[in-house]
Amino acid sequence: MNGPFIIFALLNVGFVLLISPLFMSLIKKVKARAQGRCGPGLFQTYYTIAKLLRKETVYSSASSWVMRVTPYVCLSMAVVAALFVPLLYVPEPVAGIGNVILFLYLLGIARFFMALSGLDAGSAFGGIGSSREMSLAAVIEPTSIVVLAALAVVARSLNFLEIARDSAGMLFPVSATMILIGVSLFIILIVETGRIPVDNPETHLELTMVHEAMVLEQSGRNLAMIEYAGAIKQTLLIAILVLVLMPFGLVTELSVAGVLFAMALFVVKGSVISVIIGLFESSMAKMRLFSLPNLFIIAFFFSVLTIFIEVFA
Amino acid sequence: MTDVSFVDGLVRFIFVAVLITAAFLLSTRSLPSLLRTYQLQSLLLAMLAVVFSFVEGSAVLLWIAILTVVSKVLVIPYFIGEIQERISIRRDLEFHYLAPASSILVSIALIIGVYLSLGNILSSAYAKVEPIFFIGAVIGISLMLMGMLVIFSRTKAITKVLGFLSMENGVLLFGICVTELPFIIEVMIMIDLIILILLTTILTVGIDSTIEAYNEKVRQYSLWTVREEDAP
Amino acid sequence: MIGVILYLLFAGLFALLLGTVLPLLIRREDKPVRTVSLIATALGSAFLAVAALPVLFSATTVSATLWHLLPGIDFTVVLDRLSSLFLLILGVVGLADAIYSFGYVEHGGHPMRRNLLVSLMNLFLLSMGMVVLAGNMVQFLVFWEMMAVSSLFLVLYDFESEGIGRAGLFYAVMTQLSTVFLFIGFILLYGETGTFALVPASPLASPGALAAFLCLFLGFSVKAGVIPFHKWLPYAHPASPSNISALMSGVMLKVAVYGLVRAVLDIFALDFTSGAVILLFGITSAILGIIYAYKETDIKGLLAYSSIENIGIIFSGIGLAVIFSDLGMPELSTLSLLAALFHSFNHALFKSLLFMTAGSVVAATHTRNMEEMGGLVHRMPFTAGLFCTGAIAIAAFPPLNGFVGELMLFESLFFGLQVVDPLTKVLLIFALSLFALTGALAAACFVKAFGITFLAHPRSDRAVHAEEACRSMLIGPAILAFLCIATGIGSFQIFSALGYDLPLPDMLVVGMLIVVTLGAVVLVVRATASRETRVTETWGCGLLSQNGRMEYTGTGYSEPVVTIFSSIYRTEKKIDRTWLDPDRAIVAGTRAGISLIKFFEEYLYLPVARGTLAVSSLVQIFHAGTLDTYILYIFVSIVILVLGVGWFI
Repeated sequence: MNGPFIIFALLNVGFVLLISPLFMSLIKKVKARAQGRCGPGLFQTYYTIAKLLRKETVYSSASSWVMRVTPYVCLSMAVVAALFVPLLYVPEPVAGIGNVILFLYLLGIARFFMALSGLDAGSAFGGIGSSREMSLAAVIEPTSIVVLAALAVVARSLNFLEIARDSAGMLFPVSATMILIGVSLFIILIVETGRIPVDNPETHLELTMVHEAMVLEQSGRNLAMIEYAGAIKQTLLIAILVLVLMPFGLVTELSVAGVLFAMALFVVKGSVISVIIGLFESSMAKMRLFSLPNLFIIAFFFSVLTIFIEVFA
Repeated sequence: MTDVSFVDGLVRFIFVAVLITAAFLLSTRSLPSLLRTYQLQSLLLAMLAVVFSFVEGSAVLLWIAILTVVSKVLVIPYFIGEIQERISIRRDLEFHYLAPASSILVSIALIIGVYLSLGNILSSAYAKVEPIFFIGAVIGISLMLMGMLVIFSRTKAITKVLGFLSMENGVLLFGICVTELPFIIEVMIMIDLIILILLTTILTVGIDSTIEAYNEKVRQYSLWTVREEDAP
Repeated sequence: MIGVILYLLFAGLFALLLGTVLPLLIRREDKPVRTVSLIATALGSAFLAVAALPVLFSATTVSATLWHLLPGIDFTVVLDRLSSLFLLILGVVGLADAIYSFGYVEHGGHPMRRNLLVSLMNLFLLSMGMVVLAGNMVQFLVFWEMMAVSSLFLVLYDFESEGIGRAGLFYAVMTQLSTVFLFIGFILLYGETGTFALVPASPLASPGALAAFLCLFLGFSVKAGVIPFHKWLPYAHPASPSNISALMSGVMLKVAVYGLVRAVLDIFALDFTSGAVILLFGITSAILGIIYAYKETDIKGLLAYSSIENIGIIFSGIGLAVIFSDLGMPELSTLSLLAALFHSFNHALFKSLLFMTAGSVVAATHTRNMEEMGGLVHRMPFTAGLFCTGAIAIAAFPPLNGFVGELMLFESLFFGLQVVDPLTKVLLIFALSLFALTGALAAACFVKAFGITFLAHPRSDRAVHAEEACRSMLIGPAILAFLCIATGIGSFQIFSALGYDLPLPDMLVVGMLIVVTLGAVVLVVRATASRETRVTETWGCGLLSQNGRMEYTGTGYSEPVVTIFSSIYRTEKKIDRTWLDPDRAIVAGTRAGISLIKFFEEYLYLPVARGTLAVSSLVQIFHAGTLDTYILYIFVSIVILVLGVGWFI
């Protein structure tokens, strides 16, 4: 734990915490505009979280400590995971922080507890959501790992911080294969954040819902924490995509001007990706649950091909 | 334009995109999007031909690109689109022998298998010197085999035709990357294809009935040959 | 130092021997007999663990020849670094299991039979310890067989219950099959080396050695429950008492792993193909094991299938080690071998933990069916907490130990992808994607196991009346739970102390980060958010009260995965409709059913069994059953032998 790393940790986590709700509202805004509605303001997610924090929390009488612990676990895992993906400044990795697999599994703990809390209240909706979420997570996992393997092969490193250090300051991705990896990462982003066509974040209709059903029994401050954790997770995945496709702007030397510039740049880059996500969602219809594996297998095909092309050609 | 790594990246991107379109041909259920996928595939091949023609400075490849765009991106999809409009089948939901997921896994295996066997056939030195062309050849043959998969694993005639067309695209890709087929043969193949599409149109619309009923049907659907007669 | 280690070793073994003999000699029905015997078990296991530790960390080899049995065959105890790891596993799990058993054995069964259980458990531990310590083939085989027989009796402990006889039969046949293969393997090995010593002077690579390896591999695979030789495992583990299931899954499977690792490292010099074969068997077991586990509603059956998965992961690590060492990449080879060994250790910890806590649950609810449990987190809070720790560990989440083992395996695959030739890369990508699937399914599987068993409303009266397990049944698993966390968090330091510098994240730092963040989040939320809470009933779509019948069931939970992988499960959905009218418009009635084809049983085991039966019916012709006929046979064969000897020599 050296000085630069602590600065990085504070800077990165603080920035992620600050900016995550913005992208959430931005996507909503884009979707609303695409549907011809005006849509919520850009600060709506901040207001929602603040409102939820002030509300009382309702627990089911059937629920146990699992329900009470889950929101804290989700939020802290998201915050710890925020140390793994550099947004502004990239230090030398310390103690293996930045390891891609560890990152994936940190998000996994949050999902594990969330799925348990879905079962905890004894409601059938929670069970449905939990079962579907874990099944989908299982089916997409090979794709995630193979994409990360492709990333590791291309970037010759297993650590996001190292990958970022190698590519920082470059205008274009390190290699053309990165664009292909970017496409796969985009699909993973869509699946992990539960967006159309995999899941619909807007509806609470029991037939379509996956993620929303799982958190149906959460309320008040707990719901606020879970929503916040979701927003952070989304920002981190966007940041990985940015890292792969648009590495320009990351600084490797600490300076106030550089960091400020990187912040501004990240907001722009993140907004671009958020707009793309919003448009993508608007142009799609929700898929039937059991036709999702087909989509995933095409994503898997894609990432395998990426490695294949990178390795063989 | 001659930046090697840029061209290299572009070609790789096209290769992957072509295979992805083939995967979509194996799994998509809606006929209109199947058709669009085929169109995209052909367009990608045309782009590849353009890229190669700039790299090698060969005019023939440019001609092939133009021909591909005209025939496979415009004419053939137009005819097939016409058929679709008339037979009013929008979806192809049934699969024979292989479900889409397994046929995609099978095609991954196929690609690897083709890579290995081609590696044995073409000398390994060749694979080392021109890895991009070698991969192109591998992908061409895989595309052909995946087209065949489409033909036997899907049930609707139009999908089968698209599978066949995708097979031909595989041959084209192989031709672009390895053997440099003479231009005239390429033209012949195109004409062949167009005739095939005409025949298919006729067959899908009318194979099930007598000549009279068939004539009636052709008139009823007002396909192109009859269009002038029909026009008052 | 070496003297002390040897003393500890013999003290441990002697204590186990004492624990075996005591309940048999003192034929009394009261509890003190069993208590004394279990104290002997606990002490013996502790001694063995303490003896193993210095050997593991200093990499010395301790050996002692006790007496000469026959010319060329000594009774030798050898403890080197490899066997010390497995002895440590045995010691730790044995200690925790002995503590657990204080409470557990008093549940049900005639007192005399409980005495027998305790005695056999000691014998089982003793024989496994002696297998690990064996210095020559004869010793290895004798104790291996002792281990098989004692565990067979333990499986049959509750023999009156339904299904136990079948489990025992399966187990007996398969375990003998394993011994037969080992016998052949060792005989072939003796033919190659000419000595009974387990470890030859230099690793063998001749074709004869390859045949020997194949036999040994099959033998160990059967014992380890690798698919397709796994069928006994999901029968035997649920059937036996839970403290024994914990030993079988935690230790006995590892003894088989020990055999394989010993063979791979010291006895044979293997090439790429053998490595790939081990890897393929490993991956197959891993993925199929967890897929079958996911569908189980019998909680111990689920754990048994999950053992198959973990053994698959361990075997894959061994396979990768062989592949990398054949390709000349010693660092990667070490990494994957360490992954396999560390995972063996981890699996012993958390699977025993899970079997013990599941045993507490089964003892409290008198059923193994998860669909009849539920709501136990309120009734058995400590057991629930322990089970949850085990579930997090086995689902491989940081910073617990299960994660570190899988991370090492993933890393060796990732690094391997960067260096090997294209063909091997294909193999590695294949392995990688299946591992990812396995890992994620394992997480889903243990959400189901914990969620359906412990959370929400009770699903039956049995669950309503469940009570928390007694203290010893909590302390035993608690030791293991603590070790799961400790070895996970300290993994980096442990490997440094062992002398390996691995490219692992420092889990101590990660663990601290998690704790600090968790603390910070709690503080911030406490400071900023409203603290009002209300407890009320779950919304039941307008129904007045929610009950256990309305919850999501375990079967429902696994339905999406079952549908997605229906081609693997080989489920057959059958719908028969009858119609009232000839045009089939009005349905008179419908029968629907889902049947599960037991693939391996139907297509592998039964054909083999039928073949064997056919052959034996041929032999049966000669069995007239009268003594005179048999004497005639003996006479004829002796005459043939005598004449034959005269003819040929």
